[in-house]
Amino acid sequence: MKAAEFIQKVNSGEIDVVEHTHKVIEECKKLNKEYNYFNVISEELALEQAKAVRKNPDGRLAGLPVSIKDCICVKGVESRAGSAILNGYKPLFNATAVKKVIREGGIIIGKTSQDEFGFGGFSVNMGKGFKKPLNPFDKKRCCGGSSGGSGGITQKASFPNISLGESTGGSIVNPASFCGIYGLCPTYGRVSRYGLIDYGNSLDKIGPMAKHIEDTALMQNIISGFDKKESTSLNIPVDNYGSGIGKDIKGMKIGIIDFGMGDNVDDNVKKKTQEAIDKLSSQGAELKEISLPYSNKYGIPVYFLLAASEASTNLARYCGMRYGAYGKLEGSFNEYFTRVRSASLGDEAKRRILLGTFARMAGYRDAYYIKAAQIRTKMIEEYKKAFRKFDALISPTVNILPPRFDEIDKLSLLQIYTIDTLTVVPNLVGAPHINVPMGLVDKIPSGVMLTADHLNEGKLIQIASALR
Amino acid sequence: MAEEIKKLKFTTDVVIGLEVHVELATDSKLFCGCSTNAKGEDEPNTRTCPVCLGHPGSKPVLNKKAVDYALRLCLALGSTMAPELVFSRKSYFYPDMSKNYQITQYEIPLGEHGSLKLSDGTKIGITRVHMEEDPAALVHPAGMTGSKFVLVDYNRSGDPLCEVVTEPELASPEQARDFMKKLINILRYLGIFDINRCIIKADANVSVKESSYQRVEIKNITGFKDIERALKYEIKRQKEDIKDGQVIKEETRAWDSQYGVTRSMRTKETEADYGYIIDPDLVPIEITKEWVNKIKEKMPELPDEKVKKFMHDFKLNREDAEVISADKDMAEMLEGVAKKINPVLAAKWIRRELVRCLNYKKKELHETGIKAKHIISLLKLLEQKKITDTTGQKLMEKLVSKPFDAEDYVKKEGLEAIGDSGELEKFCNEAIAENDKAVAEYKDGNEKSFNFIVGAVMRKSKGKADPKAVRELLLGKI
Repeated sequence: MKAAEFIQKVNSGEIDVVEHTHKVIEECKKLNKEYNYFNVISEELALEQAKAVRKNPDGRLAGLPVSIKDCICVKGVESRAGSAILNGYKPLFNATAVKKVIREGGIIIGKTSQDEFGFGGFSVNMGKGFKKPLNPFDKKRCCGGSSGGSGGITQKASFPNISLGESTGGSIVNPASFCGIYGLCPTYGRVSRYGLIDYGNSLDKIGPMAKHIEDTALMQNIISGFDKKESTSLNIPVDNYGSGIGKDIKGMKIGIIDFGMGDNVDDNVKKKTQEAIDKLSSQGAELKEISLPYSNKYGIPVYFLLAASEASTNLARYCGMRYGAYGKLEGSFNEYFTRVRSASLGDEAKRRILLGTFARMAGYRDAYYIKAAQIRTKMIEEYKKAFRKFDALISPTVNILPPRFDEIDKLSLLQIYTIDTLTVVPNLVGAPHINVPMGLVDKIPSGVMLTADHLNEGKLIQIASALR
Repeated sequence: MAEEIKKLKFTTDVVIGLEVHVELATDSKLFCGCSTNAKGEDEPNTRTCPVCLGHPGSKPVLNKKAVDYALRLCLALGSTMAPELVFSRKSYFYPDMSKNYQITQYEIPLGEHGSLKLSDGTKIGITRVHMEEDPAALVHPAGMTGSKFVLVDYNRSGDPLCEVVTEPELASPEQARDFMKKLINILRYLGIFDINRCIIKADANVSVKESSYQRVEIKNITGFKDIERALKYEIKRQKEDIKDGQVIKEETRAWDSQYGVTRSMRTKETEADYGYIIDPDLVPIEITKEWVNKIKEKMPELPDEKVKKFMHDFKLNREDAEVISADKDMAEMLEGVAKKINPVLAAKWIRRELVRCLNYKKKELHETGIKAKHIISLLKLLEQKKITDTTGQKLMEKLVSKPFDAEDYVKKEGLEAIGDSGELEKFCNEAIAENDKAVAEYKDGNEKSFNFIVGAVMRKSKGKADPKAVRELLLGKI
């Protein structure tokens, strides 16, 4: 059942929302024992909300179960961004996106599992004491990351639901692809980041993950918009992102990113991408190869330098004071901070702090942080130029199918980082991109990524709908 | 290398540069809506929110009013304004930091290349003016060295600051003090600094010729009086150390106002690397010509303009005009008083008597509660010769302790000058009769003896007689 149909039934009173929510929570609990999609199931809040919705069932998301990535703050519900250093932290406020969901009657069912602070593409870089989410199609495989729990629950749940994911370098489209769902990473600034626990502030975006393109558009309509509490949010009117669903794409120009079909790409993934290309072509879209040399060559280093530089400053505040994990008060403040951080942060978090701190140190700053920022500008120019010719770009979302955990263990760090090659560039550019599920290959999902110019989420959704 | 070349330029005995942190008098903090102003009892950690506490997920939003204030300062110092306002993160771990980074400005400060003129005419270059947030306050319950633990009060966290950095062009602690005084005065004229609640702090770089100008930084000096003290101490310390054969190291020292000494905090080897990045939570804001013009239009009068106005409109001499303009309260007092009183008389009494009494009581004008009406009441009595200068001086002393209406007071206490010559003549006759020895001496040519007789008359009148009239009367009689 699509979300809209379900919501309509809640609006009309056909579905008892409290009863339904009870069932939903029970299923979540059961699934979680097996698949680890949630860090917290917010049963109390969900039931309290359900009762309120029963009284007032008019919201645009009335009664719909919505899961929230752990890094997005929900008032009073432990929100840890998957890190033990935030153990016990219950935010005093709702993220703006969460506030909008609640206002429309969406039921917050829990905080989904993720790589610690978003540092990963497989949801295996878990914080201390957190469990890896398992792929809904094959428990030996990963969900993708970092919004792995969101991808998993959205696919696996028997009930209609939408998740709010978050992407810094591909963390929405990647798990959407690995879990076989839609994942829309909107234009940077389209959705307020207020209440989002920062990874890389110039890159972070909240976006919907859903089983249906209509659900994706519905959620995007609700969470978009200007927020005076968030300086980088865009003060530009919000479109109806679903208005193009099912509309003709004849004459649309779509660029095929050349390195998306290159040597590093798995043959099955290429095959699925070719299917998508053919499908668009058969509907009258004009497809042509495009080369994006800057993006191909520098995407990964620029992304990791900038994201890690920002992350290393963002994570500095977690030091065992004010909130979250703490230790025994002993020694100087430096010793105390070091002790708490050493004990509570995972290896990948520590690695990115070291990397980011190095990249912005005096003497290296110009060569790394500043240069990376300059190349980022070049990439934006490269994409802007491409969008003068094309309505959208297409490529696989990830160059491989969801790997098994034992395969991941054998990968080198560099191999792991390069998994993000196709997704980091639209994130650096701040351009909206979407994963479109292309069905299964050998019983595991594969997806393609469409990228459009800034604020063209509507067009993306229209093209995505042509691939159904 | 650049620093070496710069050092060669120095010729003075002492070289001082200042970094002054000024708290701006906005109602709310720099990046959140929390109040900057304690209402009544300032209970610790009550004026806080997720933003100034650095909670995960909170985001800063710039307070434009603070930028308006900083722009006013840039204009007053003649600084070149940056085309954009860009904030950076200055990273270091310290318990008073809510995020373990401070939002400040690094690459492009708001203002550059300004200057400020000292009382002795020296023009001091202002390298930069930039904006930043204040950290929280650390409270040591048993003093800096004796406390086993430290408490943190975030009420101050996120207060708006302006940092004013000078060129190393100050040549003495006295000049440094004068600089601070001038700066505070300008800040007050601009209406961006509230002397009753805003904090002004300075870090000073100081070096002496004997060490070939090896720079030492002194941190955390509050107010202009302490600037002079701290620098005097530090210069003496450096010179004595050199005499003792010690080498002056490049280091950072802390000023301990309680003991009047500086103490080593860290040497250059352990100096923090702040790892600046642009703060990605704040978008660069264009400083448009329209914005600057708007600020310009609303700029209050500055000390230099006041001097001109006082000389032109009030016909004051330059010295009086400058002395009065150098204190905003004093200048406003004169303007208020001059509405009812001859400005030259008003200026004379404000500059000489009021200042004398304030100095004697070690008070600032704003601390006394004296308003223009109090001075008007007093000077009216003088203007109409209802009281003598001597009575006026005494009343001024009393006003500084506690303001009151001079006219009522004079009536109540019967302090009116003796204008009636009948009574005065009586006092003169008595004085002559009682002091025949002095009269004789005067007639022999001893001027001092005449003054003695005048004094006798004044005593009889209890200071209410006009000395000039007394002298005339006495001269006619002897």
